[in-house]
Amino acid sequence: MLKIQNLHASIGDKEILKGIDLEIKAGEIHAVLGPNGAGKSTLGAVLTGRPDYVVTEGSVMFEGKDLLAMAPEERSWAGIFLSFQYPVEIPGVSYTAFMKAAIAARRKAQGLPEMKAGEFLKLQKEKMAFVGMNPDFAKREVNVGFSGGEKKRAEIFQMAMLEPTLSILDETDSGLDVDALKIVAGGVNALRSPERSAIIITHYQKLLEYVQPDVVHVLKAGRIVATGGREIVDAIESKGFDQF
Amino acid sequence: MGHGKYIAPPKAQYQVAAGETLELQYVVLPGESRDIDVSIDLAGPGAEAHLKGLYLCNSDEKVNIRVVMHHKAPGCRSTQLFNGIAGGSSNFHFDGVIVVAPGADGTEAYQENHNIVLTEEAKVETKPQLEIYADDVKCSHGATTGRLGEDELFYMRSRGIPEKEARTLQMLSFLSPVIPEGRREEIEAAVRTL
Repeated sequence: MLKIQNLHASIGDKEILKGIDLEIKAGEIHAVLGPNGAGKSTLGAVLTGRPDYVVTEGSVMFEGKDLLAMAPEERSWAGIFLSFQYPVEIPGVSYTAFMKAAIAARRKAQGLPEMKAGEFLKLQKEKMAFVGMNPDFAKREVNVGFSGGEKKRAEIFQMAMLEPTLSILDETDSGLDVDALKIVAGGVNALRSPERSAIIITHYQKLLEYVQPDVVHVLKAGRIVATGGREIVDAIESKGFDQF
Repeated sequence: MGHGKYIAPPKAQYQVAAGETLELQYVVLPGESRDIDVSIDLAGPGAEAHLKGLYLCNSDEKVNIRVVMHHKAPGCRSTQLFNGIAGGSSNFHFDGVIVVAPGADGTEAYQENHNIVLTEEAKVETKPQLEIYADDVKCSHGATTGRLGEDELFYMRSRGIPEKEARTLQMLSFLSPVIPEGRREEIEAAVRTL
């Protein structure tokens, strides 16, 4: 599904990713763990096309297409979703208007007919209930005045609405209490299928108690320094990142 | 340019008597150069004036807005909110003065002007001023000039909203407090020309 080869990326003059190789097959969940400043968030930003990051070397193929040549919105249409570490507030735009615009644009790009208003509202209500969001949030301005936990929950709501084939969760577990964590995990697990994959980027290991990753990577100083299974999570738990 | 919907005349002087309320709404659409010069006297106790305005420029328009809000009597209230977007090589100038005369105690006066600049060539100048000669006065003024937020833009695009549509949404959200009732579609169409 996703093949990253020798990926180098910079912000300004600073090289953050220094040659990443990573392959994710359909149906797999990969966890990327690493200390602060390792480049974890940069990886998510580069995969979704954040304009301030520049790829200086390497390639990323997503379902056989050159991902790096695609605009951020095209990547979304292709099925990539990033749950932001710091979800952005958009004053003056309601969640309903925001999600309607997102779904309408995607359906148009996919050559599908417009979703009927009633159908959209029903879907939205269903997905909000699924992540335990108060239905009043549909009328609220996007993320404005939301608590940290509410913002993360809203990210998972958006993920559930867009049903991505590749979800990237950037520190979605940070700052969450156990209940919110279970909801986030539930959202990821519900999307789990042989066709869908996910990258869970995290500094902690908390989320991995509720979502079982197939492959675990350790990212340090812009490089993947270890790859394995569950045992890596346990090793980090007991001895930290210095061992790698 | 003869836009019939233009509610307030471009140069005007108003006297607002005790207990009365004046409401003015200004809309300057792309392609229009305008000089709006308005002077308002809140002449009797408890008089109120509320002004809202929006401007949209996409070429070489020159838009000037001058407001003198004169609080002459006690217990008067005024609000002003002007939001606009300057594109092309347009020039926008805002000059707003709030004067609170001696004895106009209990005055409340607020003035804001917020601008988004879309191009390097567009120029915005904004000068809110306060002159206060009374006690027990609540006054504030504020002005901002900036660009469309890149973080918001990327967030929307990452959800599949195309760049142009995302910018339109951002601009409409910025303008929403000053869009007159019943004119949202017209303003949206104008925003799409920016």
